[in-house]
Amino acid sequence: MSDKKDMSRRDFLLYAIGGWAAVGAGATLYAMYKTWEPLPEVKAAGVVEFDLSLVKPGEIRVIEWRRKPVFILRRTPEMKAGCPKRTVRTSLGDFTIVIGICTHLGCIPNWESDKNIWHCPCHGGEYDACGRNIFGPPPRPLEIPPFKLNGNIIVLGEEGPEYKAMIG
Amino acid sequence: MRLIDWLDERLEIRKLIKVTLIDYKVPKNINFLWSFGMLLVLMFAILFISGLFLLMYYKPDSNLAFDSVNKTIMMDVSFGWLFRHVHAVGASIVFLLLYIHIARGIFYGSYKPPREVVWITGYILFVLFSATAFTGYLLPWGQMSYWAAQTITTLFEKIPFIGPDLVIWIRGDYAVADATLTRFFALHVVFLPVLIMIVMAIHLYSVRVVGSNNEDGKPIDKKKEGVPFWPVFMSKEFFVMTVFLLFFFFLVFYKFDFAMDRVNFEPANPLQTPTHIYPEWYFLAYYEVLRGFFFSQNLGLIAFALSMVLILFLPWLDKSPIVSGKNRPLFQIAFWIFILDFLVLTVLGKLPPTGLYAWIGLIASLIFFGFFISLPIIAKIEKKQLEGEKK
Amino acid sequence: MKELKIFLIIVGLVLVGYYGIEPFAHHEMYGGLPKPDFNYLDLKYDIDIKGNPQNGENLFKQNCQSCHSLKTKNLKAMMDENTAMQAFNVVPPDLSNIAAIVEKHFLFNFIKNPQNATKNPKFAMPPMSQLSDQQIVDIIAFLEKTAKKEITGEKILEDACTRCHSVKYQKIKAFTHPENLKKYLGKVPPDLSLKGRSKTKEYLEAFINNPQAVLPGTSMPRLGLKKESTEKVITYLQEISDPHKEERNKIGLWVLGYMLIGVFLTYAWKKKVWQKIK
Ligand code: HEM
Ligand code: FES
Repeated sequence: MSDKKDMSRRDFLLYAIGGWAAVGAGATLYAMYKTWEPLPEVKAAGVVEFDLSLVKPGEIRVIEWRRKPVFILRRTPEMKAGCPKRTVRTSLGDFTIVIGICTHLGCIPNWESDKNIWHCPCHGGEYDACGRNIFGPPPRPLEIPPFKLNGNIIVLGEEGPEYKAMIG
Repeated sequence: MRLIDWLDERLEIRKLIKVTLIDYKVPKNINFLWSFGMLLVLMFAILFISGLFLLMYYKPDSNLAFDSVNKTIMMDVSFGWLFRHVHAVGASIVFLLLYIHIARGIFYGSYKPPREVVWITGYILFVLFSATAFTGYLLPWGQMSYWAAQTITTLFEKIPFIGPDLVIWIRGDYAVADATLTRFFALHVVFLPVLIMIVMAIHLYSVRVVGSNNEDGKPIDKKKEGVPFWPVFMSKEFFVMTVFLLFFFFLVFYKFDFAMDRVNFEPANPLQTPTHIYPEWYFLAYYEVLRGFFFSQNLGLIAFALSMVLILFLPWLDKSPIVSGKNRPLFQIAFWIFILDFLVLTVLGKLPPTGLYAWIGLIASLIFFGFFISLPIIAKIEKKQLEGEKK
Repeated sequence: MKELKIFLIIVGLVLVGYYGIEPFAHHEMYGGLPKPDFNYLDLKYDIDIKGNPQNGENLFKQNCQSCHSLKTKNLKAMMDENTAMQAFNVVPPDLSNIAAIVEKHFLFNFIKNPQNATKNPKFAMPPMSQLSDQQIVDIIAFLEKTAKKEITGEKILEDACTRCHSVKYQKIKAFTHPENLKKYLGKVPPDLSLKGRSKTKEYLEAFINNPQAVLPGTSMPRLGLKKESTEKVITYLQEISDPHKEERNKIGLWVLGYMLIGVFLTYAWKKKVWQKIK
């Protein structure tokens, strides 16, 4: 061990071994990381189709999409929405389609048909028929899920031109 | 470096490293067989980690278990198949390591004083690994899983008086069923691994206290003949490890059939036994001893039980003052016959026990016990010789 | 040198042991498989007449269509699937591609006497004893004309197997209800999702070719598959039961290469360290 050059060669090899082992550890960690990704069937369930003609005017339907409630409201003229950027237009008329999770702290608001608003039970937040926050603590309107329209069938989980136009 | 200083001030890690790794001297004249202990530690770690990831998707329920393994883990989870292959092949190959580790101990007389505690804890580890492998094998709930558990638990039925009730108690049902699966599951994933870790610690500690044996079996003068554990011994250890892992991953990716039996890809069917059933390879030798005394079931059972515990008593069967087999020609003959006999038993264990095979099985079983009988005799002869030399 | 010797002894013992418990033992246990006969020579066939597909089509409509559909020609079975299932306890197969799947001599004998050809006395289809040899040949000629030339293993499975077998992991349910199958065959046939892995290729080949010869007393009928279609089905079964095989083989190479580098590195380091010891 007196020889300096010798020392450095040993060190170099040891570092090389360390680097080599780190690559293996990295690859192993990557495989572990991948195992935690949602399973194919979970991902497949991330795309849901729904026939809008099942909803009567003025009615609201709740469907599950990616384990979240999605509100589908078929608007009536009385709702006087006036929110082109939050309106899904179809041959059946206008719809509000939003994720039913309060943007304040995540409770699920209830539809109050006499007032045409969503009322959040937790801290009294309110949203109008477009899903815009009109009262209380919610900081933002209800979120619009990515969707695509195939005629009167709405496909949740895929981004169609109508959706892009809305968020654009 | 700063971090080291910081830690050193609080934990004395410099001293710790020096005492545990650098001042720890191992003999120079030990060959790569002395690396198998560390290989076993490595293998246990691999089994532990791969098992953890299987556990995240496995479902211990007789209706769900098979699909959770063969569909979810093997097909749906990204790299799930990899973790299963590693775990299955690892569980099988760990026994190859164990057998080499033990054979090393036998050949070089590592069970002799002062290493009896090392030997006993080692034996306990062997038993624990066997139990872990056996309980784990039931979990995929395939045909082999089911019938292995069914037949092995039936063995307990032969114990006089309590046997029949004991089996039902072990199974929690009149045959292997859901209750058996869930309790085996608990043992396999929690109880046994924890025990293994504890006993492993004692085993390593006891090796540390008495020091490693060596090829010549003579205690070394550590100051002069020893080499530091780090980096000298470990440099070799790393090399052996990478060679072993190369072999291991070859099996994992390309030759895993021996550890993942085809028959076990059939779901368990309590109403139909597969045409051929056999234990995993590492139990075949004992299984053959069980079948070897084909004319008497009771004798077979006793022989079977004996074949698994006799090895524990080596320190007391072989009291020859000469430690290493290297210096014991007679012992060497017995040793190699024993090794070959174990191999023969292993292969026979998978063959149909009929005709010629049955007779070879009987002879091989007798030879198996012959080894243990020969040890005290050889020891006596050697003692006489030594005394003769002294005179 | 001495260590190399020990190493070689271990390698030798391991190889002998491996040979004993794997190839050798498996040969001893599962060896005696009957040789498959894809010409079905036990069935007589000495007909040397040419079939007329035009005639065959008419004959098909008169004799077969009551139970069987032929989708490529838009011919619907007169009995709907449910009625047929209640009557026969099995859904009769669509015959669009049957001539591409089943060997010709077998098909001839099968139409004449299904129970004899399939070696299954319980086989659901009644013998077509009203047909002359010429008429049968005509029907076969017609079926040959409708059949696709290139047919995938997946499709063969659908046409030949899944009227009785489910393939759960592919989300395929047997066309026939399990209760009816139980009545028909005595038990529900096993799921095929993993058969490509639980059985060897040789076993599957021998079994599909002649179930009775491999598993005497089994209720699976002999289906008369051509060699080619048998191989395709088996390949398909192997693919679905081991979907990550390609990925595994590819990643395996990377891992082995990686380990090999490790072997060289650790060897170099060991040499360096030990140089001063000896
Ligand atoms: C999980 C199982 C085991 C692990 C992790 C393990 C680990 C180790 C380690 C790290 C060593 C020191 C390095 C070496 O000499 O190889 C060792 C030594 C030893 N082990 Fe084990 N062992 C296991 C099982 C066994 C079994 C089943 C036996 C015997 C029945 C056994 C008997 C011994 C003996 C006698 C020594 C001392 C060897 C000598 O100094 O010559 N071990 N073990
Ligand atoms: S969570 Fe809805 S208002 Fe607070």
